[in-house]
Amino acid sequence: MIEVRELTKRYGRTVAVDGLTFDVRPGRVTGFLGPNGAGKSTTMRVLLGLDRPTSGAALINGYRYADLRRPLVHVGALLDAGAVDGGRSALNHLRWLARTNGIGARRVASVLEQVGLAGVARSRVRGFSLGMRQRLGVAAALLGDPAVLLFDEPVNGLDPDGVRWIRELMRSLAAEGRTVLLSSHLMSEMALTADHLVIIGRGRLIADTTLHDLAARFQQGVVVRSPRSDELATVLDAGGATVTREADGSLTVTGKDASEIGDLAARNGLPIHEATPRGASLEDAYMELTSTSVDYAAGPGAQGVT
Amino acid sequence: MAAALAAEWLKLRSVRSTWVTVAVVGVVVLVTALATWNGVNAWENATTAEGRLRWETARPMERITFPFTQFCVGVLGVLAFTSEYGTGMIRSTFAAVPRRGTVLTAKVGAVGGATFVTGLAGVTAMHLTGRWIVGDRPFDAYADPVAEAVGPLLAMGLSVAVVALVGMGVGAVLRSTAGTLVTLAVLVFVLPTIAGFLPDPWNERIGAVLPAQLSAQVAGSTDPVLPPLVALTVLAGYAATALGAAAVAISRRDP
Repeated sequence: MIEVRELTKRYGRTVAVDGLTFDVRPGRVTGFLGPNGAGKSTTMRVLLGLDRPTSGAALINGYRYADLRRPLVHVGALLDAGAVDGGRSALNHLRWLARTNGIGARRVASVLEQVGLAGVARSRVRGFSLGMRQRLGVAAALLGDPAVLLFDEPVNGLDPDGVRWIRELMRSLAAEGRTVLLSSHLMSEMALTADHLVIIGRGRLIADTTLHDLAARFQQGVVVRSPRSDELATVLDAGGATVTREADGSLTVTGKDASEIGDLAARNGLPIHEATPRGASLEDAYMELTSTSVDYAAGPGAQGVT
Repeated sequence: MAAALAAEWLKLRSVRSTWVTVAVVGVVVLVTALATWNGVNAWENATTAEGRLRWETARPMERITFPFTQFCVGVLGVLAFTSEYGTGMIRSTFAAVPRRGTVLTAKVGAVGGATFVTGLAGVTAMHLTGRWIVGDRPFDAYADPVAEAVGPLLAMGLSVAVVALVGMGVGAVLRSTAGTLVTLAVLVFVLPTIAGFLPDPWNERIGAVLPAQLSAQVAGSTDPVLPPLVALTVLAGYAATALGAAAVAISRRDP
């Protein structure tokens, strides 16, 4: 369980996170979504006790990170897969991390196995591809077998195999009852991985919703074509739907989904040639939600901030 | 604390740069031996008593090359923080050990211990090979029994560790390897040279409080400016100042 409460972080005059409040619950993958510079990484760094908040709090299982005695046992994080010393072997990188939190050598071997790096454990990280570094970062996050996991843009730069691997890993970690927070600036990625979404822009909360609700919110009706559209419109109208007649003879129906419209038409013996749900894609929904914050982000030059 | 110390020790010995540094100290030992050998040859070939006297009264060679030993081993201290800031690994370190003070103390323990041992081993090797090369020639530097050299060698080892800790502290503040190496070079090479050009008695006074000469005074050299305890305090003051600045820097600034 992650609780972010009225979190604000300023760097000089720049506000990175601005009164942000949300919860991340266990047992599901929560997508942390926002345009670049929205404050996702800053929020994650505050959660990990790396950046100190200007005000507000970020709690993990009710504790501030700095108060956790063996933090890796509670929280695992992958912030930047490149942030390892290339001169050290994968094994030694995990070993020093394990040592700080009293984690045994057997666990190190087991996470190396789990991420598929056991064969190159003794090679220097310098020679690793980005995908291998991501796997090492995941291994480090899993080291303490933590109940809370944070991943900052974990699929960046991965090949399709790696992307699928990360996706399945996230889902299985959540299925084990863990709290998984996964940041990304790509809605398409979230649509495939996340159950719940926390969307931020300019450091503020824009939406805290399930994927399903977000899709429903941006549902824009069903396009229906029928050779007897006038009769169909009357029937639908009587059935409680809102019907708009379009110039091309089609109907745009809201208030009923495609299957309800089809059933209603069948009961009245009216033929239907097309019934297409027209929704904004999640991508569109996301763009619309964040457009104001992106516009705003491009504007601060006008306020004298350089 | 023990866990953090064990981790820092593992970090230190699991990168090649540490072993390169130790190898470079080995090179300094070799160069020092060659310089001694050259001195012995010059003494043998000298045609005048003055020519011989110059070598007979010379300081021990490990003292003449000491700034190189200090600098080379000091690099280990410099890299302790700057290499982590450079790669971003410092965030993993602070995520694993949230208490900044514990991280700093663990690094001081691991790097301080390793550099003291490396420095001591280096200067001891230099001293012993020097004795062996000089043999029974009447060189003042090696006239005393070996036991007399233990104190000065220990003090040199301590001074090497202090320079490394200064490098660590400055590195935590500057976060840049290049900038910290320059700072350390100024302290070890440039300042003593500048001090040498100052008018009497300031050349001696300023020179005496620089790390290169403090170790001899800690061991009670024959013509000290500072008594041993004062010299030891000044030496400790270098480490304390740099590490104090480091403690403030790493706890106040976000990594």
